[in-house]
Amino acid sequence: MIRNYFKIAWRNIRANKLFTVLNIAGLAIGLCVCIILFSFVNTELGFDKMYSNAEQIYRVNMETTEEYDFETWATMPNAVGPAIAQNISQVKRVTRLIKDDFGTTASLKIGDKNYSENNLYLADSTIFKMFDFKFLEGDVATAFSKPKSIVLSLATKKRFFGNQEALGQLITVNNNDTLQVSGIYADLPKNSVMDFDMVYNIMDSWMGTNVYWSNASYETYVQLEPNADVSEIEKQATALIDKHVDKEGQYFTKFFLQPLTEIHLYSANVREGYSTKLGNITTIKSLLFLSLLVLFIACINYMNLATANSQKRAKGIGMNKVLGANRRQMLSLFYVETGIMVFLSIVIGYGVSFLVLPLFKSITGNALDFQDLLAAPILIGLLIIWILVTLIAGSYPAISMSGISPLILVNKSKKKGSASEFVRKGLVVFQFAASIVLIIAVTIILQQMSFIKNKNLGYDPNGIIAVSVKSAETGQQIESLMKGLESQVNIESISAVQSMPGANESGRAVRKLATDNTGMPIASCRTDGNIVQTLKLNILAGNELPETIAKGDSVIYTLINEKILDYLGYKTPDEAVGKIIHTELGPRAIITGVVENFNFNSLKDDVGGYMYYKSRKAPEGIRMLLVRYNSQDLSQFIGQLQATFNESLPNTAFDYQFVDRHVAQLYASEEKTASMATIFSALAIFIACLGLFGLAAFTAEQRRKEIGVRKVLGATVSGITQLLSKDFLKLVLVAFVIAAPVAYWFMHKWLLDFAYRTEISWWVFAFAGLAAMCIALLTVSFQAIKAAVANPAKSLRIE
Amino acid sequence: MLLELKNIFKWVTQGGKRIYLLSDLNFKVEEGEFISIMGPSGSGKSTLLNVIGMLDGFQEGEYNFLEQPVHTMKDKERSKLYKEYIGFVFQAYHLIDELTVYENIETPLLYKNIKSSERKALVADMLDRFNIVGKKDLFPNQLSGGQQQLVGIARALITKPKLILADEPTGNLNSKQSEEIMQLFKELNQEGVTIIQATHSESNAAYGSRILHLLDGRRDNT
Repeated sequence: MIRNYFKIAWRNIRANKLFTVLNIAGLAIGLCVCIILFSFVNTELGFDKMYSNAEQIYRVNMETTEEYDFETWATMPNAVGPAIAQNISQVKRVTRLIKDDFGTTASLKIGDKNYSENNLYLADSTIFKMFDFKFLEGDVATAFSKPKSIVLSLATKKRFFGNQEALGQLITVNNNDTLQVSGIYADLPKNSVMDFDMVYNIMDSWMGTNVYWSNASYETYVQLEPNADVSEIEKQATALIDKHVDKEGQYFTKFFLQPLTEIHLYSANVREGYSTKLGNITTIKSLLFLSLLVLFIACINYMNLATANSQKRAKGIGMNKVLGANRRQMLSLFYVETGIMVFLSIVIGYGVSFLVLPLFKSITGNALDFQDLLAAPILIGLLIIWILVTLIAGSYPAISMSGISPLILVNKSKKKGSASEFVRKGLVVFQFAASIVLIIAVTIILQQMSFIKNKNLGYDPNGIIAVSVKSAETGQQIESLMKGLESQVNIESISAVQSMPGANESGRAVRKLATDNTGMPIASCRTDGNIVQTLKLNILAGNELPETIAKGDSVIYTLINEKILDYLGYKTPDEAVGKIIHTELGPRAIITGVVENFNFNSLKDDVGGYMYYKSRKAPEGIRMLLVRYNSQDLSQFIGQLQATFNESLPNTAFDYQFVDRHVAQLYASEEKTASMATIFSALAIFIACLGLFGLAAFTAEQRRKEIGVRKVLGATVSGITQLLSKDFLKLVLVAFVIAAPVAYWFMHKWLLDFAYRTEISWWVFAFAGLAAMCIALLTVSFQAIKAAVANPAKSLRIE
Repeated sequence: MLLELKNIFKWVTQGGKRIYLLSDLNFKVEEGEFISIMGPSGSGKSTLLNVIGMLDGFQEGEYNFLEQPVHTMKDKERSKLYKEYIGFVFQAYHLIDELTVYENIETPLLYKNIKSSERKALVADMLDRFNIVGKKDLFPNQLSGGQQQLVGIARALITKPKLILADEPTGNLNSKQSEEIMQLFKELNQEGVTIIQATHSESNAAYGSRILHLLDGRRDNT
């Protein structure tokens, strides 16, 4: 019997080539999208689960006080790790982790070559056992046994040394420490937040040995004893705060443990970890939702196309029933047929997903390997998808068609129930509503992106190149570099700074009175002047910071933005100029000038307080030169820049970044969202069109007689085309009415993420509605015209 | 007695009025009879065949088939009964397009859960008997009308029904093919199968042992 089902199903599939192709195409596209996204989600969810201690490893996070808006920080003083190790017995291992020089790019000198390195870490030696380091050369026990040792990942070793012996070689970091390679470890898994290329002993640096409770820059990981009580350990750790820090000095109040396996996806509200490999559970959820939506649309499509074929199939069903088939047997027949179709679609969709992996990477920036597609959960997932999609997509045709009465054979069957027609139309409305929501969403996302790009930030990030000078051996080198650059014609202005806007400023607080306990959190940035000119800031009152400060002048000169001005309560900018300002910088800080607010952070956030300062004894160093240029030939300009750089800083890697690209980087995830949404909506619309095409064919066939009669009575082709298309336009209209408010609600919510946002205007909706209508019309008219030009003599022939 | 209809009424309501398709019909059929139902278009021939074949219901009256009351049965029992005892032959043949001649004939056996070896034997016998062994792997659209109807009859006979219901079995055939089919019915009847056919044709009707005339859903005894 089963064999017979397969036979009939297979012949049916082959008999209706057009429908089979439409069906399989729709399903395969939907499945391909699903498979890729599932494997993406699968890799994301698998982050850090491969470590043998994964279950016992936690990152210590801390909760700050009101002064820092109760934020959660992943970084903390370097005293926390040792204190936990000493005082809490349930903790087996502790390691502190910090990226070299607080997370800026390091300059390495190996032999006579200079390299830039982004993932150079300092850690305690316990890290190797904690994270299953596999040493290919050297070993865990001796890696850090000699002072000034450094270990490299295999890939990094190859980058620096090729196939040459690396063990024992010397690497000079930032023209400061010279370290000796003591081990090579196998590359860490790519789906791990641990992204270090090279690690050296934190105890070789003041960062490890000079233990203090103020600067919160260190990540701290702990490995607990099996079955340790997490909340108890959190309590004990929190108790350490009161023990070591006076009440007034406490800017954090609580420690808690974040499981290692959750760091990747659940760190959206945690500030300042060092890993570059952070994902977001919200993205994962919305991707899952979107892919299921596309799959569901594809299922609907299948139902529509299958029932569109029902007229042709009905006779066969009726006959089978006369010959003794019962409803259950007919149900099985349809399910077998659907099962075969879905199977073919899965095979095709799965195959195609391998081909489009590179495309996925270029759109989302997320690299997936073939291995990720072959992972066991994916293969099991395919099986589940096969069964589920067969059940869902097959349900409607199977249930509606298996109920066909044998009376169909004697032309006596009752008219098709309006219920099934309602269902079919409902499905098309759903498909189109989803498509319209997506069109509206994409339009608004793109609108917001262009709004962001064109918004006046209050400074001009275009045409500025930031050159790293943090590894200069002496201050003279920087001065000589600046002198060398100043004379060049295509350079307008240069500023030596601690950070470009919104990157590596220091968090400080401004207080109204020196005695205040709390103040307003601000970003402070050391500069050596010229900053107004270089960034094209808008100065409201006072002056640019002084070009030089006389020897013995201990005043700290500051340039504040309006945000700080408002907080301090001055009525006009002029009023503030020359006044003393209370910060942690020192008692003798005065306001030299006031600048208009500028968006140093992403436009998602409102402008915060910002302060540039200059003093003879600045606590922060100069890390980069901001160079405003006006050269058209960029590569020539950069070559010239590098030449000057190498002259002044011969032992430092030339590392640069464009400020406007840094700004664009802030919206990278939105850019991804935009391109994803565009693709999803294109696919959804395409699949929806396949479904509509099927429904149009179905209607045209159902109304064949009517069309024949109308033609005999003198109807024109265009008249009949209109007659058939009109009904579908009504469906699209209904879909629009449903979709518009849904889209409005979603996009309104999405825009709320941005402090600066575009208006949702009516034309977006008009555009989406029109677009959907045009697409529907194009799809339907093909069938309508075909029906309209058919010879009425044929359709009116009595069988 | 094979079946008996007593005071059968069947109607549809149109614009609030009852239109009678069958009206006070009484009809007995003995085993081994060959009955022709005649009457103009719309007289109720097909409706009557559908009622007898239990494909269609009726509103009033009694219908006993092999002494069992069909009018009180549930759908399931009724379909079990007709699957067991009745074979259908249609004017438009209604072969299943996706199946070959062999498979069309085999289908009723599949639904009766008959074993594969036995099925093979039964279908082979039938192909032999109708002289269509050479056509067993063809699809319906590769056959002439007469051949298709032959397959239709073979399919109706495969389950060894007591009663064959044929609705205009030769309506789509030419006169030569018609004659062959009617000859076949006659032979089957002689072997003991009861046949009820609906027909327009006097000559076809003459093959039967008895003619039932219908007019507007009633017996026309004029």
